Amino acid sequence: MTTANKALMAHLLRRAGFGATFQELETYCAQGYEATVEELLHPEGHPDIEEDLLERYYTDWKESRNIEGALTETVYRMNANATNRPLQEKMALFWHGVFATGLAKVLHEKTMLNQIEMFRNYGLGSFRELLVQLSRDPAMIFWLDNNFNHKGAPNENWGRELLELFAMGVGMDGQPNYTEDDVKEVARAFTGWTIDDDNVASIPFGKIPWRFRYLPEDHDDGEKTVLGHTGRFNGEDVIDIICQQPATARFISRHLYNFFVADEPQVPAWQNTPPRDLAAIQMLEKVYFDSNYDIRAMLRALFNSDFFQSEQVRFARVKSPAEVVVGTLHLLGDFKFPKRGIFETALECRYLGQDLLNPPSVEGWHTGKEWIDSGSMVGRVNFVSDQVTNIAQPGIRAMVDNLMSRGKSLSPEQVVEGCLELMGQLRLNQDTKRPIVEQVRAAGTLRTGTAKDRAHAQEVILRAMRMIGSTREYQFA
Amino acid sequence: MTTQTQEKPLSVKGLFQFHDVIGLLSAGDAGFSNPVSIALGPDPDSSGMYVLSRANPNQPEAVRVTRCTKEGEYVGQFGQWGEAEGQFTWVTDMAFSHSGELFIADEHSHRISVFTPEGQYLRCFGKAGKGEGELDRPSGLAFDQKDNLLVVDTLNHRVQRLTKDGQFLSSWGSQGSGPGQFNMPWGIAVDGQDNVYITDWRNDRVQKFDRNGKALLAFGRSGAGEGEFNRPTGIAVDADGDVYVCDWRNDRVQVFGARGDYKDTLTGHAGMSQWALGYLAANPEVELKLNKAVQNIEPKKRFYRPVSVKVDGEGKVYVVDCYRHRVQIYQKR
Repeated sequence: MTTANKALMAHLLRRAGFGATFQELETYCAQGYEATVEELLHPEGHPDIEEDLLERYYTDWKESRNIEGALTETVYRMNANATNRPLQEKMALFWHGVFATGLAKVLHEKTMLNQIEMFRNYGLGSFRELLVQLSRDPAMIFWLDNNFNHKGAPNENWGRELLELFAMGVGMDGQPNYTEDDVKEVARAFTGWTIDDDNVASIPFGKIPWRFRYLPEDHDDGEKTVLGHTGRFNGEDVIDIICQQPATARFISRHLYNFFVADEPQVPAWQNTPPRDLAAIQMLEKVYFDSNYDIRAMLRALFNSDFFQSEQVRFARVKSPAEVVVGTLHLLGDFKFPKRGIFETALECRYLGQDLLNPPSVEGWHTGKEWIDSGSMVGRVNFVSDQVTNIAQPGIRAMVDNLMSRGKSLSPEQVVEGCLELMGQLRLNQDTKRPIVEQVRAAGTLRTGTAKDRAHAQEVILRAMRMIGSTREYQFA
Repeated sequence: MTTQTQEKPLSVKGLFQFHDVIGLLSAGDAGFSNPVSIALGPDPDSSGMYVLSRANPNQPEAVRVTRCTKEGEYVGQFGQWGEAEGQFTWVTDMAFSHSGELFIADEHSHRISVFTPEGQYLRCFGKAGKGEGELDRPSGLAFDQKDNLLVVDTLNHRVQRLTKDGQFLSSWGSQGSGPGQFNMPWGIAVDGQDNVYITDWRNDRVQKFDRNGKALLAFGRSGAGEGEFNRPTGIAVDADGDVYVCDWRNDRVQVFGARGDYKDTLTGHAGMSQWALGYLAANPEVELKLNKAVQNIEPKKRFYRPVSVKVDGEGKVYVVDCYRHRVQIYQKR
């Protein structure tokens, strides 16, 4: 396997997962790129998280009672699945960003966690089915007031956001995608789609997750006209109509491109700002229709495309805070088995600007360079550099041992290039790399023969890894 | 027409009758927060019960021992979250020695802390490791007839017998599924003949040993039928030799004879505890919400991850209902 192929594989895993350890990259490279894409697209072929262990050690998660606990569980699961089911987990994060639902209003942690689990279960399948599940999702129903959407007294929140933020977008190619009348009619189609409970306090029994309930007597069964189609539509009929729209194909294609390939403008600008790579978007739109709205087929086309594999898009996306935190934990091999401390670590996502399960609004998080400000950049650097120098972590130990096994002495260039390779085929520009090499050089020749030599070499290698983790480049995927 | 007094509900086979419920989700005072263990005080008449809350890292103050009478009268609480001596974080189980000291296991610090019944810290022992007297995530605690401590050493897949000062005496078990082997064992109980029962958590079975660790009996297999388990946790033996097993992920307690013969199943029948009623009286808006959700009340009466069980001399069975933050009490008939 060539270095070029390894670099491509690392690129795939940074985007379709949370990065890969050097051992994982070896395994993936041995099976080849396209086979790895297929493996990523079929998480069901790999073991899931062992739920009994989570219940055994994290006894408070089963009916999580606070936002921080829900965030912690989400980060833990992302990291735990980063080896076996990375794309499934990445898609849960993707859909959470698109269908942003938040605990600031929902106030029911387990119900929110169930929504994320729904994304795991349906996020790689039919977009139509995903929208049906989303429409039935209790957290979403409560978040957008569909439990107040009644026959004769519609509430338009869900109907509006389904069109505007979840499936079509306000417009494309300078034209609006729907009218205010469409919003009202969509809302009517979803009357009677509600939840079986109100916001019951956790005391005295603990919280019970909400469930979807359809109340036929509260459903407006009258004739409706939606996007030019007329009939006595119920919610699923409307979803069928939405899925047929070119705007929907465009909307989902741009979202996938933005998340997996390269940063697009923020979503509200999409009506009047053409895609960064129109040909790529049009290819994805065609797959959307050819595959009957299958997200897996779209991702297969995306990952196997030239535009995804291009050198131009590598390390061009700013990592989200969740990608920084989970990617670093995965590199370390930390929290692969339940232990205390994940709570404090997971909260780093919040401190870095991504309070998972609690997005700033229904628009979700603004991505790309908007993740970064001076405060969050310092936080990112501190988090990573603190983590990657902990030799007690199995992933760090394995990298240091691997590097020290490469010769009786190591040149400064070998140390830095070796660290970059082992930390995930990272790439630094020469101006960034040079001072790191010089720092290593200042420590003298590194030898690996005696215990004393090895202790010194370890110290220098860890210092190099800390500097690499502190670079601007580490913050890009 | 005469008014009939509503009988309290019975277990599946009718050998037990629901008696009472004590509990309320609370981070302090009268209540529990993800309780994981119960111990009955050294003086059966006056000491009442002790309930150990594991809580969550967002509410470290809720990690504590709550004391109350068997009738649910709140007595007090003690314990402090932390890693210093006298503190604990990831608590798993507790047990009174015959001499009346309370031993608490902490699987984060891999040690056992000892308290007086009033909650005064006395000493601690244990550290992480695989050697004699060292521990890797201790869980179940019990005392043998000689008042030595038996510790379930979960991730070392063994049971260790220690003095009450933590000096190593003996151990048995290794990782596996054969006789005398374990896969992350959890609960432990000692019967009147000094036999030791262990819930072999990930092997979904109960193993019975003599006082020297010789395997005598194993019963149970994975499943949800009678005599089958889904990750058994707490275990207790009563004066008749009947064995009570918290069948954790099946949300029930199964009762067996001393030879492992299935006898009965408890499923949980809790209504509102006195503490809960007191809370609702003070918070009428919560009661209103509960009344709106009345269709969901029935499932909430059932066990939700029962984790610890003890039996007193009167045939009362105390089951810690972890995810419902309460203790359900049954009476043997």
